[in-house]
Amino acid sequence: MSAHEQAAAEPRTSGPLMPEPLMPEPLTPEPLTPEPWEVEEAPRRPRNNGELALSTLLLLLGVYLVIGAGQITIPGSSNTVGPRFFPYLVGAATIVVGGLLAIRVLRGDQGPEEGGEDVDPEAQTSWRAVGIIALAFLAHALLINVIGWPLSVTLMFGAVAWSLGSRGVIRPLIAGGIVSVVVWVVFVKALGVTLPGGILLELATGWP
Amino acid sequence: MEAFGQLMGGFADAVTPLNLLFALIGTLLGTAVGVLPGIGPAMTVALLLPITYVLEPTGAFIMFAGIYYGGMYGGSTTSILLNTPGESSSIMTALEGNLMAKAGRGAAALGTAAIGSFVAGTIGTLLLALVAPAVVTLAVAIGPADYFALALLAFVAVSTVLGASPLRGLASLCIGLFLGLVGTDLLTGQQRFTFGVPQLADGIDVVVVAVALFAVGEALHVASRLRHGPVEVMSSSGSFMTREDLRRSWKPWLRGTAFGFPFGALPAGGAEIPTFLSYATERRLAKHDSFGKGAIEGVAGPEAANNAAAAGVLVPLLTLGLPTSATAAILLAAFQGYGIQPGPTLLTTESSLVWTLIASLFIGNTMLLVLNLPLVGVWVKLLKIPRPYLYAGILMFASLGSYAVNADPLDLVLLLVIGLLGFAMRRFGWPVAPAVIGLILGPVAETNLRRALAISDGDLSALVSSPFSVVVLLVAVLAVVGPPVLRRFRQREAVAA
Repeated sequence: MSAHEQAAAEPRTSGPLMPEPLMPEPLTPEPLTPEPWEVEEAPRRPRNNGELALSTLLLLLGVYLVIGAGQITIPGSSNTVGPRFFPYLVGAATIVVGGLLAIRVLRGDQGPEEGGEDVDPEAQTSWRAVGIIALAFLAHALLINVIGWPLSVTLMFGAVAWSLGSRGVIRPLIAGGIVSVVVWVVFVKALGVTLPGGILLELATGWP
Repeated sequence: MEAFGQLMGGFADAVTPLNLLFALIGTLLGTAVGVLPGIGPAMTVALLLPITYVLEPTGAFIMFAGIYYGGMYGGSTTSILLNTPGESSSIMTALEGNLMAKAGRGAAALGTAAIGSFVAGTIGTLLLALVAPAVVTLAVAIGPADYFALALLAFVAVSTVLGASPLRGLASLCIGLFLGLVGTDLLTGQQRFTFGVPQLADGIDVVVVAVALFAVGEALHVASRLRHGPVEVMSSSGSFMTREDLRRSWKPWLRGTAFGFPFGALPAGGAEIPTFLSYATERRLAKHDSFGKGAIEGVAGPEAANNAAAAGVLVPLLTLGLPTSATAAILLAAFQGYGIQPGPTLLTTESSLVWTLIASLFIGNTMLLVLNLPLVGVWVKLLKIPRPYLYAGILMFASLGSYAVNADPLDLVLLLVIGLLGFAMRRFGWPVAPAVIGLILGPVAETNLRRALAISDGDLSALVSSPFSVVVLLVAVLAVVGPPVLRRFRQREAVAA
């Protein structure tokens, strides 16, 4: 039957562990992770300095591990393998991996950026949004014991939603406020999780 | 068969009204969170973990079973209806599923996914019930050296097998191993890498790291490159599965299950490979070339593989305490949070808990089939949540989850720092799963390594003394050196040709 012949004539799946991707017209460009050799031959993009920095940090982490391992106190009783062995091992491995990766990145190798339903790979990176979210989260962490979880998380919610493009700040704040109070009531009162409520909520919900 | 009797006992425990309620809540929550775009099964489990803190173990694990399977069901709905699929093990479903939805056959796609998941989940859980006791009897013969070899294999497999860049996977693993080292050494009581900060003396909580890497990292990554414009959710209407669809689906369901379960059970990183294989196989076996236009086999097979792998992952987790995927690592952390250490003794010491858990998997699976299809309208509304609110909400629950662990704001700062790391990792293509596995398996590997060497008085050959460990270590070595050698081989072939 011609259909079977067609199927037999198609390229055989081969490869160590992952079959060659047999793609119909792809919906998104390269949704499948490319084979390792395909990544190597990709067009050389400008060297990724961010990744170089991270690889170097990894290398330094390895060095820190090895040095730190040497400072771990060994209790006298330990005879063979003490608390220093594994840190030395991990540290050495980290140095090797970090070094190899840094060299690779210097040569222009780049890993495929992680995809996602809401990620637009062509878009310009919005550092502003990232920065606002980071600051909002930090502020939330600092305020949580001061004004209670619901209020501080509402502020964070509002800031994050605003930075991601919601219209106005009032609506997210209200939404965040309602959700956080409901969540707080459910989790703290009904389920007994510890979350500071802040002065108002603690007073309003009198029961222990 | 003793196992059958114990399973029946598990069912008896699981069908009490309270436990059924837990199962229902778990499946609903798991599906709802699993539907949300940007949230894969690992993150679903991590985010919903705090809910279970306050329940006693049986109820908590029943809810977990529901969340675990529910997350996978939710993910299928998203991958079929949303035009921009993300989570790696649902990419295969999306290939044909999206095409079917576009052609107005969304309901049939959802139907075959749901029924296929049910079939695979049931068979997979049945296999779990049968295989687990058998593995346990074998596992008792395994010593610390063998455990160390298995842990090493798991490290290597999860780093090198997934994704395009094994070296980056190893980098992620190293980060995880480092984070696992922070804290107090169990065997000697010495503090390691705690920077003098007292809260770090207990180590860094797995939940904090998982939520940070998955939820916060994802949120930051999305924020950096948010896809603007309206969310394209395709219609889920249209006729349900016809007899023809059923005829075309049932074999892919079974084949998908056959692929999924073994791969899930092996330290091979979870569901990505079996869904790949299932898709490729269905495509090759399809008698008519509807692939590329919306072939139902392309949805049926991968979905079944996905769910069967989820059941398979539970085999090494429950019998050996060995997590083979990021989700399994978080489940392991949940067990440990209750002071329960999965391993060969689990089936004897916590027999009723384990069998109740397995029975709840069956029940949850059935609930998911019954509930999901009528509730599609609700899930579609969830898909349409405006992204700013969605990610703000994710961060809110991330904050809840991590703060609830220790009631310490330091955990939130740690969450942010590790979240920024997770963002960087996503940007540079460093896979996140190896870090989670390194974090939770690192201490296990170390303990077993030191035990093995203590027994042999420092003789390193103890690590390769038993045939089991030799074989496992060889496989691990092959996994690392195999691909680059093969690559060089191919390049030479290509040049010669």
